[in-house]
Amino acid sequence: MAPTSRFRAFTGLALAGTLAFSLVACSSGSDEPAASGDDGGELTTVGFVAVGPEGGWRTANEQNIQDAFSKENGFDLKYAPSSNGDQNSQITAFTSFIDEGVDAILLSATEATGWEDVLERAQEAEIPVVLLDRGIEPNDESLYTSRIAPDNVGISASAAEWANEQFPDGANYVVLEGPPGLSVVNDRNKGWDEAVADNLTKLESQSANWSTEEAKSVFETMLKANGNDIQLVFAQNDEMGLGAALAVEEAGLIPGTDVKIITIDGTQAALEALAAGRLSFVAEYNPLFGDDAIEVVNAALAGEDVESSIVVPSTTFDSPEAATAALPDRQY
Amino acid sequence: MSTPVSRPSAAIRVISGLFHQPYVWAIVALLLLLVVNLTKNPAYLGVSVNAATGNLSGNVIDILRASAPIMMIAVGMTLVIATRGIDLSVGSVMAVAGAVSMEFMRNTGTGSFGTAAVAVLLALGISALLGTLNGILVSIVGLQPFITTLVMMLAGRGLAKVITSGQNTSATNEPFRWIANGTILGFPVVFVIAVLIVAVLAALVRRTALGLMIESIGINPKAARMAGIRPVGILISVYIVSAVLAGVAGIFSTASVMTVEVAKTGMTAEMDAILAVVIGGTSLAGGKFSLTGSIIGALLIATLDKTIVYMSIPSSATPAFKAVVIVIICLLQSPRVRSMFNRRRTRVITARKETVPA
Repeated sequence: MAPTSRFRAFTGLALAGTLAFSLVACSSGSDEPAASGDDGGELTTVGFVAVGPEGGWRTANEQNIQDAFSKENGFDLKYAPSSNGDQNSQITAFTSFIDEGVDAILLSATEATGWEDVLERAQEAEIPVVLLDRGIEPNDESLYTSRIAPDNVGISASAAEWANEQFPDGANYVVLEGPPGLSVVNDRNKGWDEAVADNLTKLESQSANWSTEEAKSVFETMLKANGNDIQLVFAQNDEMGLGAALAVEEAGLIPGTDVKIITIDGTQAALEALAAGRLSFVAEYNPLFGDDAIEVVNAALAGEDVESSIVVPSTTFDSPEAATAALPDRQY
Repeated sequence: MSTPVSRPSAAIRVISGLFHQPYVWAIVALLLLLVVNLTKNPAYLGVSVNAATGNLSGNVIDILRASAPIMMIAVGMTLVIATRGIDLSVGSVMAVAGAVSMEFMRNTGTGSFGTAAVAVLLALGISALLGTLNGILVSIVGLQPFITTLVMMLAGRGLAKVITSGQNTSATNEPFRWIANGTILGFPVVFVIAVLIVAVLAALVRRTALGLMIESIGINPKAARMAGIRPVGILISVYIVSAVLAGVAGIFSTASVMTVEVAKTGMTAEMDAILAVVIGGTSLAGGKFSLTGSIIGALLIATLDKTIVYMSIPSSATPAFKAVVIVIICLLQSPRVRSMFNRRRTRVITARKETVPA
C-alpha cells in the first residue's frame, strides 16, 4: 500500500508542477501581444464592464458612455454587458480585460460586494479602475481610482423632504426597493430614512426587483393587506413607480389624489406619467456623465491625482408643469 | 333507506380517493397558507365588488390572476416532463412572446382589436417555432432535453433583446390590456382563459390515447416504439405545446403592465413551472403525470408569492425557499430515499413482532 500511495503523491505533484509551468508559459505568452498592442495603437483601450439591459435609465447611461468614449475622442471602448445582471459574468469580463492588458477599466457593478480580488489584480497590473454609478462594499477607496455617480443619498433625501412638505399631518407609506444588497438600494434607503419626518409611518418595505410587473403585483397585495390605507409610495426607480400606479388604478383609487407616488431616475416614461398626474414626484438620477468619465480616465492615465468620489448634479420634478417643460429635450 | 347509507360512503370514497392522490400534500399546504393569511386578517378570503371599477376584488381574485401564467407553463412542463424531458426555455419564450407583441403594437400604433389579435397570433407563432426547434433537436437529432432547452433559454432571452433592441418596450392597446386586467362576469379574464385552455388540453390528453402514449414514452421509450407508438411526432408536439403555452403566459404577464422587460419578464419562470409540476406529484423521472396536480401546484405557488408580501416577509428569500421545497420533494420521490423509509418502517414492525411474544 505504502509505495503505491507515495507513487500517487509523486505523480500528483508532478502533474501540478506541469500545470503550473504551462500556466506560467501561457500567461507570459499572452503578455507579449498586449504589450505590442500598446506600442502600435494611438487609441486608448478602455474596457467597460457594464450591466446591460435593465431599464430606461441604464440604457441612457450606457449609451452615453459608449458615445463619449468614441474613436474620434481617441478611445477604443470594449463594451461587456452582464448576462441578465449576473455578477459572475461581470467578474469574468473584468478579468479578461486585465489579461488583455487594457489601459483602463470602467465598472458598473451589479452587486456591491465581492470585488476585492479582481480589483487587487487590476491594481497589480497597474490598470486604473473607474467605478460608474454603483459603488462597492466595503468601500475601500484604495482599490479604485475614482467613483463617478449622482448622489443617491442626497437624491432620496430630497424626495423625503418633498414628502414631509406634502404630508405635514403625517401619512402611511411603503417603500418599493430594488434587489437587496445593491449599494444603490442601501444609499436610497439611507437618504430617505435620515430625512423623512417622524409622523410619516413606514408600513413596510418590499423588494420588487426594479420591475414594473413585480411592483404592480406587490403593491396590489400591499393595498389589500393595509385596507387601502396607504397615502404614499416611495419607489426606488421609475419602473416600479409605474407598476405601483397601475395597481392603484386597478384598485379603483386615483394616483396623485389617493396615493402619491415618488420615483427616482427621471426617465422619459416617468416624466410622461408625471405630466399626466399618475406620478407625483420624480427625482432625477442623472445618467449623462460620459464626459466626466473621460476626464477622470485621462487624468488617471497621465498620472495625475483624481478625487476618489465625483458627484454628478441632478434635479427634481415636483409638478406636471415641470415635467411637461422638461419632456421635449429629454434624452432618455 | 339505501340513499342515506350510500351518500356518506360515496363522500368517504371521494375523500379517501383524494388522500391517495400524490397532490394531497399540496392541497394541505395551500390550505395552511390560507390559514396563515386568515390569522393576520379574518376577512382575507372575502370577495367584494369594487365600487369604483365594478369588478370583483379580493385576495382570492388576485391569487387566481397571478396563478394564470404559472398554470400555463406548468401544464406544458407537465407534458414535457412526462416524456422524461424538461423544458428550461419557458421563461425565455415568455420574454420573446412579450417582446414580439409589444414591439408589433408599438410600431403599428393603432389601438384596435385587430392589432391586438395579430400581436397575439405573432407571439404564439414565434413561440411555436421555438418549440418546434426544441422538439426537433430532442426527438430527431437526439440531443438531451436539458441541454437543448438550456441553449434555447439563453438564445431566447438574447432574441428578445434583439427584437426590442435591448429596451423595455411599452405599447398602448386596450383589447390587449383587457386580456390581463379585464373581467368576465367578475372573474379575471386571464384565469378564465387559462382554465379553458387547460380543459381543452386535458380532454385532448385524457379522452384520447395521447396521454397514455406520452406516459409510455416516459416510462420506456423502446417498449413504446415496439408497441407501435412513434415517439418523434409526440415529442415534437409536446415541446410545441409547452412553448405555445409559455407564449400565452408571456402575453398574460406583459399585458398586465403593457410593458416587456427583456431582462425580467419570465425570469426564473422555469423554476416556478418545475416546482408546480413536482408539487403536483408528477415525477421528474417521467411517466405518469397529473394535470390537476400541476394546476394545484401553480395555485400553491401564486398563493405563496402573495402570502409572503401579505405577511410583510422580505420577498428576497422566496427563491431560496422554493429551491428548498423542490429539493425536499425530489428527495421524497427518489426511490433510494423511499426504500430507506420503508426499510426503517419494516424494521420497526418486525422489532415489535419480536417483542410481543417475549
